[in-house]
Parts: sequence; C-alpha cells; structure tokens
Amino acid sequence: MELIGFLIAFPLVIAVLLLFVRSDAARKYLVTIPAVIIGCASIALYVMYGSQGGSYFIFSSSIVDIICVIVSIAIGAVILIYGFKYKRILPIVLGALQLVASLIFDFAIGHKIDVSQGLYVDGLSLLMVLIIGIVGSGICVYALGYMRDFQEHEPDGAPDRRPIFFALMFLFLSAMYVIVLSNNMSWMFAGWEITTLCSFLLIGYTKTEEAINNAFRQINMNLLGGIAFLIALYVCSISFDTLSFKDFLEIGSSRPNIVILPVIALAIAGITKAAQMPFHTWLLGAMVAPTPTSALLHSSTMVKAGVFLLVKLAPIFVVCPIASALVILVGGFTFMFCSFMAISQTNAKRVLAYSTIANLGLITACAGVGTPEAVWAAMLLILFHAIAKSLLFLCVGTAEHHIGSRDIEDMDQLFQRMPKLSRFMMLGIMCMFIAPFGMLIAKWGALVALIDMHQGVLLILLAFGSAATFMFWAKWLGKLAGIAGTRENIEGNVSASEWASIGLMAALIALCCICLPLISIFMVDPYIISSYSNAGVAGGMVSSAFDGTVDADDLWLASIACVFAFIVMFAGLGRTKTKQVGVYLAGVSADNANRVFRDSMSGETMATSRNWYMTEAFNEDRLSWLGTIVCGILEVGFFIVGCVTLGIF
Amino acid sequence: MGYASKSPWVIHYDGSSCNGCDIEVLATLCPGFDAERFGVINTGNPKHADIFLVTGSVNERNIDVVKEIYDQMVEPKVVIACGICACTGGIFHDCYNVIGGVDKAIPVDVYAPGCAVRPEAIIDAVVQGIGILEEKAEALKASKRGA
Amino acid sequence: MSIVYALIGTLVFAVLGPVIGCLLAGLDRKITARMQGRVGPPLLQPYYDVRKLFGKERVSVNTTESAYVVAALVFALLAGGIFFSGGNLLMCVFVITLSSLFFIVAAYSSCSPYSEIGAHRETLQVMSYEPMIVLMTVVFYQASGSFDVSNLFNISIPIIGCTWLAFFGLLFVLTIKLRKSPFDLSMSHHAHQEIVRGMTTEMSGPTLAKIEIMHWCETVLFLGWIGMFFIWLNPLSLVLAIIVAVLVYFLEIWIDNNFARTKWQVMLGSAWFIALVCGGLNVIVLMFV
Repeated sequence: MELIGFLIAFPLVIAVLLLFVRSDAARKYLVTIPAVIIGCASIALYVMYGSQGGSYFIFSSSIVDIICVIVSIAIGAVILIYGFKYKRILPIVLGALQLVASLIFDFAIGHKIDVSQGLYVDGLSLLMVLIIGIVGSGICVYALGYMRDFQEHEPDGAPDRRPIFFALMFLFLSAMYVIVLSNNMSWMFAGWEITTLCSFLLIGYTKTEEAINNAFRQINMNLLGGIAFLIALYVCSISFDTLSFKDFLEIGSSRPNIVILPVIALAIAGITKAAQMPFHTWLLGAMVAPTPTSALLHSSTMVKAGVFLLVKLAPIFVVCPIASALVILVGGFTFMFCSFMAISQTNAKRVLAYSTIANLGLITACAGVGTPEAVWAAMLLILFHAIAKSLLFLCVGTAEHHIGSRDIEDMDQLFQRMPKLSRFMMLGIMCMFIAPFGMLIAKWGALVALIDMHQGVLLILLAFGSAATFMFWAKWLGKLAGIAGTRENIEGNVSASEWASIGLMAALIALCCICLPLISIFMVDPYIISSYSNAGVAGGMVSSAFDGTVDADDLWLASIACVFAFIVMFAGLGRTKTKQVGVYLAGVSADNANRVFRDSMSGETMATSRNWYMTEAFNEDRLSWLGTIVCGILEVGFFIVGCVTLGIF
Repeated sequence: MGYASKSPWVIHYDGSSCNGCDIEVLATLCPGFDAERFGVINTGNPKHADIFLVTGSVNERNIDVVKEIYDQMVEPKVVIACGICACTGGIFHDCYNVIGGVDKAIPVDVYAPGCAVRPEAIIDAVVQGIGILEEKAEALKASKRGA
Repeated sequence: MSIVYALIGTLVFAVLGPVIGCLLAGLDRKITARMQGRVGPPLLQPYYDVRKLFGKERVSVNTTESAYVVAALVFALLAGGIFFSGGNLLMCVFVITLSSLFFIVAAYSSCSPYSEIGAHRETLQVMSYEPMIVLMTVVFYQASGSFDVSNLFNISIPIIGCTWLAFFGLLFVLTIKLRKSPFDLSMSHHAHQEIVRGMTTEMSGPTLAKIEIMHWCETVLFLGWIGMFFIWLNPLSLVLAIIVAVLVYFLEIWIDNNFARTKWQVMLGSAWFIALVCGGLNVIVLMFV
C-alpha cells in the first residue's frame, strides 16, 4: 500500500521540482531518472499484487478528503480565471456550476460518508498502472528531445514555457494513478478533474488562437462529463449512502434497477472522457498540442481513464440492459463513423485521432456488453492500443520535425529517408489493424462476445468499420513502404531520448504480441475470474476455469505468426541482393530514379500519385454531423430515461 | 525441351511504318490463330515478356523507346523483327528521319520479312525465336550454376 | 493440439494447394478458351508459365519487394493450412488478409505509377469484400456453434440450410477476391493490357512466379470456404462439397467471361449493399430464430 502512496506522491514532487528547473541539462536528469523510477515502481506493484485477484486496503484519511476539496476549488478557480481572461461564457457557467455543486457535495453530503477501503488494486487497475508507468513515463522521456526541437522551431523571443509543460506531464501521471487506484469515488473524481485541467492547459500550450479555442472546447465537453460524474456521486451518496466503488458495483449488479441513473451518469462521464461521439471533436481539436501531449493524454492514457471507468462498470452493464444499450450503441456508432471519417484524412495526426476515437468506441462497446468475454477483449484492446498508438504518435512527431510536415502525402518514401523510424511506424500501423498482432486478436474476442450476446446491430457496425480501418491504414502503410531513387537519409540527428522511447514502445509491442497468450492467462483472466466469479457481482457468471475468449492454441499460433512478421520487417527487408532495375514508365525514362519520363511534347514529366481519400463517398462533415445527431440523441434520451427510472424505482 | 519454350509471352511495339505489319501481328494473336495453344500471351509489360515483336523501322523519335523496352525485358529474351521495314527499313529506308532496321537499335535474333508480314511468317519466326530463347535460357542456367 | 495440426496442415497445403490450384488455373484457361471458341492452352500451361518464370533472371526494382512477396506467400500457405487442418475459420480469414496486405505493400514499395494504381485499387477491393467475409464467419459460427472448421463433421445437417443468404453474399464477393471480371480492378488475369498489369507491373521472374503460386493457393482456399457450407457428419458430404466448389468455380469463369470491368463506386456500393442485406440479415435472423 505504501507503494501506491509513492506512485501518487512521487510524480507530484517531481512536478513541483520541474516547475523551478530552467536548464536543459538538469531537466534531463530530473525527467529521465524519475521516469525510470516510476516505471520500476509500477512493475514492482504488479509483481506484488499481480498474482492476487484484487486487494482492497483499509485507508481513509480526512487529510486526503481536504486535499480533494482544495483541488476542486483550485480547478474551479483556474477555469474561471481563464474563462474571464478569454471572455468565454460557457466555461464560466459550467465551471461555476461544477464548483458550487462539488462544494455543496463535499460539505453537505460527502464528509459524512466514510469509505474505509480507500485504495485498492486489481487486474484492471494494475494493467492501467503498467500502461501509465511504462508508456506514460516513456513519453515523458521522449518529450525531452521533442520539446527542445519544438522550442527551436518557435519564433525568437518566444517565452520558454517548458518547465510548466513537464510539470503538467508529471502532475498528470499522478492524477492517473489516483483514478485507477482509488476506491473512494470522490478521490477518483478529484483525479478525474485534474486530468481534465491538465489537458486544458496542455492543449492551450502554444497560446495560438486555434489552440485556445480547442482548449476551451475540451474543457466545455469534459466539464459536462464532470457534472455527470457529480450527479452519480450525489445519487450514490444520497440513495445508497456509500462512496465506495466496490460497494456501488455490488449494489448495482445485484439490484440493477435502482442504479440506472448513476450508471448512466457515470457512463456519460466515461463517454465524454473517452471522446465518444458527439464529444469526439475535443480530441480532434487536441491535436494542435505538441505531439507528446497527444501521445500521453489523448491516446494512451487520459482517454483510457474514460474507458477504464466503463470497463469497471461492466459487471453492472451485463445485468442492466438500459445502460448497456446506451454504451453499446454509442461505442458501436462511434467506431463505424470515425473509421469512415479517417479514410478522408491526409493529416497523420488526424488519422491517428480518428483511429483513437474509433478504437475507444470499440472498447466502450465491449464494456457495454459487459460479459467476461467482452471484458477480456476490452482489456487487451486497452493494452495494445495504448502501446501501438503512443509508438505511432512518437514516430509521427519525430517525422514531423525532420520532414517538416505531418501530412501523409509528404511521407512519400520515408522508408529511404528515415529507414529505422519508418520501420517502427510500419510496425505500429500493422499492430493497429491487422492480425496476428494484438489489436485484431482482441477484436476477435469482441466478435465472439458480440455473437454470444446477440448484438446483431453492433456486429454489422463492427464489420463495416473494420473494413474502413483496413483502407486507411493500408494506404498509409503503402505510402511509407515506397522506395524510389536516391533520397537522402535524414534521420541522423534524431535525439537519443526520442530513439530511446520509440525503441521502448516498439520493444513493448513485440513483447506483448509474442507473449499475448501469457498476458491473457496471467493478467487478464485472473481479473475476470475475480470480478465475475464473486457471487455478489453479476451472480457468479464465470467459473474459475475461465481461460480467455480466444482459445490458447489460436493465441500461440498468432504469436508464431507475429514472430515471422517481425523477422520479415526487421531482418528480411533490404537484404535481397538482386540486380536493381528501373520501373516501367511506358515510354522513355528521363530520370527513372525520380520517376521522370519524356512526354509526348518531348518535355519532362514526373509521375506522381496521391492516395485515395474518397471525400465524396466518405465526407467528413456529413458523417460527423450524422454521428453527432445519432449519438447525441442516444445520450440525451437515455439520460432522461435514467432520471425517470429514479422516480419509478 | 525446357519451360522457356512452352510459355513464350510476347510484347509488341510498332515503330514507324504503314501499320500493316502491326495489324498482322495483332491478327496473329487473335482467337482465330489461337496462339494461346502454344502458351503465347500478349503482355503489355516488358518486364513480363520473353519475346519482343517489333514492326516498322527505327527512327530518331522511337529509337529510345525501342531500347528502353528491350532493356526492361528480363533475360532470357528474344527480339523478332516483323516485316521488311523492321528488318532493313524497307521502302522508308532513305527517309530523312529513318535510321534503318531494328538491328540499328538493339540486337535482333529473328528476321521475318514481308510487306506486310503474313501471320504464318510471324508464327514461323516465333517458333524459331522459341528455339533461340531455349538456348539462351540454357546458357543463363549454366552461368547461374557456374556463378 | 490444433496448433500442431495447423502447422502440419500448412506443410501439406504447401504441397497440395499449389498442385490443385495449378490444375484449377489450367482448367480456367481451357474453359475460357472454349467459351471464346478457341482450343486453348494445355491443362498444365500455368505450371509451364511458373517454371519458366523461375528460370528467368532475378531482378527487382528495390531491395524490399521480394521479402514482402515471400511473406505474402507464406501467410497464404498458413491460412490454407489452418483452414484445411480444421482450424479456426476466423484465424484463417485474418491470416489471408495479412497475406493480401503484404502483397499490397509489395506493390506500393515499388513506387511505380502503374503498381501504385493497382495497390490503391486492391486496397479498395479488400475494403469492399471485408464486411461480407467477416459476416460470413459470424454466420458460420452461429450455424455450426464454433469457429472451428473441424466441428462441421459433428453436425447433423449442413449449415447451408440456414446460411444460404450469406452463402449468396460470399459468392458475390468471391468474384472480387478472385479478381475476376467485372471486379478485376487491381490486376487482371486475361486482358494483360489493363493499366499495364496493375499490382504486378514491377514484379518479374521468380517474384511473379511466387505471386502466381499465391493465387493458386488462394483459389483453393476460397473454394474450400464455398465447400464448407455443404459439410456434415456424413463423410460422403466431402464429395458434395467438392462438386459444389467446382460448380461455383465454373460459375466464376462464366461471370468472368461475360461481364466488363466496372467502376470502383459500383464495386464498393454493390459489395457493401450485398454484405448489409445478405450478411446482416442472415446474422440477425440466426440470432433470433
């Protein structure tokens, strides 16, 4: 338990220190060494508790409660200050509403309820701890090199705000630990709001008009989610007289009818944080932030807090059809629409953003189905998505600094210009959408779970969404793979910290893909057995013999296929020693290496091609509008239904 | 007999001529003669072709094209000059722009004369070309073994 | 144990798949010739072609293409091995998709205008048939109770009875998967002049030979998918399955010879419509009946 305290407090201390460090050299040590320590501590926590199903610790502290109150006041104050500074009405209204509501809650209701088991660990939270500790701190290390380049690209005289940047990154890690390790819902809420605020400040980091606008969009949407969370807190404490998540789950899964409103409220909170439609626009807007922000907050960890909450609620969803329908439909539609919209994007970061939203949609839908099989799929999706997506963001960030563009069309022949980087990028892309790599195996689990639960509509959404996924990833992959002529190798001056974290992510992907069967057996299955075999939760849905949704033999087969694919990617490519010839240009080549041919007027023309974006068939505006309407109606409708049920039951 | 002779894939190119020979070449490849009986396939891609059928003479404008197609064909390969223009330049031999027969640009293995060249003559030339193709394939095999 | 079966199956398929596929390809050319009033090449012509291609000089436009092609071939063999050893159908579908991806990347890697056009179109073809294939596996699972192909020998009636709608959908996308006209957008087997040769424009000699072998294996695998709808515990059903597969192959040749190439919009639209109606309806009907 001390280790949990350390994981939460240590990044906080580092964040404070980083705020006062202005020299590059000192910052290097102050980021790298704590990052390693946090990573090791996370692994240590896993080693200590990984073999047990779940441990709850007797810990309650009025000091922590007071800190939480101070945190909510501080957050409210910051939002109000920014709201007044930039004259935005909506954030002021929402911020004030939330501040008042949370103060009333804390002083009138919250402090009367004592949660004896304040902290806990179980399989899911340990998985998140590992992701935060290893992927998250890896990204912090990456940010060292990236932010130095970033500062150099800034105009002269621009203030160096890097101290606050790094402080926010570490503050964020601490807040994530609070979310995943607290059993006390009001502590969890405090962590939840800190991530919202960190994200707000980091999106607005560059202080350009676009950045400010997008930051405010983020805060508006996530404040709505926060208010939904608060509603859940009110209902829980007033109706059930508890703020313990564990107790809430037990009440919910034994008597689902009375928890419909708080579950729907929490689901909406999770949906906003996970950027599901119609709240997807905040995540797209967040892409203006520096790449480490996008990688850390908007793909691998913060949005995972949203799906983490939803997956935790899975044992209730499985017995509570109304809440389940909301989450399944919103997740399914988001998956399909966002996959479609990704086809028409040329900006690499937007493609990544849409794919993130789509995959979060899939995780959301799995959580909504809520059966042990679906949760198995959701957990693996969380794991693989976090690693692969952060690898991709890091690669795109580095490529952007070296080729001067984040447009996929400008990544032509990256295989030659940045051979190592493009291989890592290709690895990340393949891990995202194609079997036998982890994501697809998890999707397989999702498919099985959906069939067993008779989710016909969701299956159809999944089938079409997956097809679109193939399209937008494959064409990007192809762009990277191209080799022509003699392009200069420009990856010589990529900084060591960037290579270190990119290498770390790639190694993690390889490790997780190859050890997938072991991950399933030792990390995922125990959590599912412990959270479902308990008679109190969902009436003992699985026996202790649950051994994964996908047969272990098939997992091993996938693992073998992965090994072969890795060998091809990293040892096979570029080794063939055959005679090299030019390509066919249907006529006379003027400069075959650069695909220039002599045209019919005896001039010289270069053959170029662009990928297909099919903007007519997959129009972003139209699809976005459609998805917003569909999902918005679903959310509002179900929320009203939830309120009505509160009156009935 | 080796496999090179059982699947001669051809590519054809028409230089400067009256187009008569080109029409005859296409007639030869039409279903009427059913050249596919002998494994002949008409490809549009030099990288897949074994036999290069050229009609018409070589001139300043097309000599680079002929050379490039030839260069892009993969060994073993055979060139057949179809029609008298491709063999020697024919009636166009003293035109200001005409360089001469195809052999002025690339090495020719079989000459099929005629104005226009008859399908029977083309088939005959292809059969001869297959023989040469076979020899070249053997030589390539031997050099591979030697290497 | 299924993993051992799958690996043994892959080795066996690596021998038998190309042999059967080669004969089927020869039959295709023979029948096509007859439909056009010609005699056509000998039955073993595809074999001669491939042997010749292996005898040609090894050249390539870059250093990576052949590695991708080998990967595509190996994964096609693995997919066949998984399927015919009675393994997991979904795994088989995933692995064959991986094989197509490597083929697409091989085409892209050449940076040649013609193979890039082919690669774009092939990506689109995959996107067109993928929903139907996924829904087909779902229907298979619903009807037979398992993703395992070997499980078919335990059921008392063939699954075609309740899956004929999805079977029709599969027939439709089979034309795309086999790259037969009217859906031979990415590369065409017959008219070798179509935007030069699509994806294989830059592939020559042994590399092209491997692609041909991959196509043979794919054809056998896809016809296996067709056949599996007619299998039940009676061992004689295997004969029925083979007969149906051969008839379907004949149908594909007939379609190939009677339709002109369409535009991509038509392909995508029709394939997705079929997937939604045939696949989606069948899935939902099986769920609630």
